[in-house]
Amino acid sequence: MTNAQARSPRSTPPAQPTEADKQLLQIAQGVEITAHDLYKKAADSGKFAGDELAMITMFGEHHNMYAQAINGLIGKAATNQRNESLYSTHVGQLGSAQSAYSALQNVENTVAATNTDILGQLQGIDAVRVLASIITIEARQAAVFGTLPGLNLTSALDKSANSLAPSIPQAPEASTETTVAP
Amino acid sequence: MNNITRRDALRVSGLTVFGATFLAACGKQSGVQQSDNISSEGEATPLAELPEGVVNDVVLLRTAASLEYNAIDTYTAALDGGLLTGDYAKLTDAVKRFRDDHIAHASALNGLIVALGGKEHTCANERIHRIYIQPALELITASDNPDLAKDVVALAHALENVATQTYQGVVTSLSAPNLRADAIRIAQDEARHAVVLAQVLNGGYASVGPTTNEATGKPNIASVPAPYGPLATIPLTIGAPSAEGLKTSLSLETPSLNSLIYDYVSC
Repeated sequence: MTNAQARSPRSTPPAQPTEADKQLLQIAQGVEITAHDLYKKAADSGKFAGDELAMITMFGEHHNMYAQAINGLIGKAATNQRNESLYSTHVGQLGSAQSAYSALQNVENTVAATNTDILGQLQGIDAVRVLASIITIEARQAAVFGTLPGLNLTSALDKSANSLAPSIPQAPEASTETTVAP
Repeated sequence: MNNITRRDALRVSGLTVFGATFLAACGKQSGVQQSDNISSEGEATPLAELPEGVVNDVVLLRTAASLEYNAIDTYTAALDGGLLTGDYAKLTDAVKRFRDDHIAHASALNGLIVALGGKEHTCANERIHRIYIQPALELITASDNPDLAKDVVALAHALENVATQTYQGVVTSLSAPNLRADAIRIAQDEARHAVVLAQVLNGGYASVGPTTNEATGKPNIASVPAPYGPLATIPLTIGAPSAEGLKTSLSLETPSLNSLIYDYVSC
């Protein structure tokens, strides 16, 4: 539905992140860096090898890419700091392959839930587009941990996780109420 | 240096005058009446025009609801038609769960639609069914298809990807931020369904990320097909193989302007 708005006169949201958006995207970047660091810790643990290690490494690199993409959206406002609370909650669970899977799945679900709540507050449409394309992959990565090494349907579809997104009100002028020609 | 004789010059100018006179005789100067029906007899029947469709949040949500019914109907056809056979019969519980999820999505979407002042939509997207699902089911259920159950799973996987991409794509068109969050929440459910089905079709750690079929050069089914959620055509290869051993390839796309569920569309 990429052309869906073309025929409808409607208010046009801003493309660039607003000031409130930037604060929200700082949070998003923080959880992405945390996820990357946890995957790197797991990959370096020596508990994974071969295709399994390649998958862990790939998932971690995805989160690194997301942190960089958010960096591109918010520029100088980027803090490039991981969420220490999220990191410390899970880093101790990477001791065995089984507990690591559970921890990494929980991290994926937490990051996806956080990004979803952030997306629901954003005004800048560029960030909405990027975050949407990140969230669907994070949901997939969470589900993979429910399908390997064997299918556990309940686990694969489990999306329960606490969002770490704060509620940050937008300034009144954040939304540009202009009308485009039909 | 070119030498043009007086005879050459007269010949060229004579041809120019003749040409201009001929063209003028064929044109308006010769008294031909202008008409919209030059080569027809009688008046053409006026075309019935579609009502003007306005794309807004309600229309986008109604379209999403229609896709949920496409999925519900397809899963129901697989279950009621006994299409999950052999090893794939073990997927029956998963398929029932997926169908229940889609029913819940449709209900949630219709709740949002009514809250926005729109009319709920409780049937499948007719165009999506006609151009994608019906032809696919005909290929799958053909008597000479040796991979009936596997192809049903492949169709379900493709439809889950269509749904995921639709929600992901629509978030930038929805005007209300809270609706964007609702849409991407449903997208995540569809993406998880797709992963379960992808692992059934092409399982194992090596198949999680993108890979290529060495024989055909085409991408294999992947649980995580790209670093970012793709918005692209979705390939579906199904049906009885040809004499060369090739199955039929279809390309599925998310709904466009000609398949939206506008306010004037009803079940």
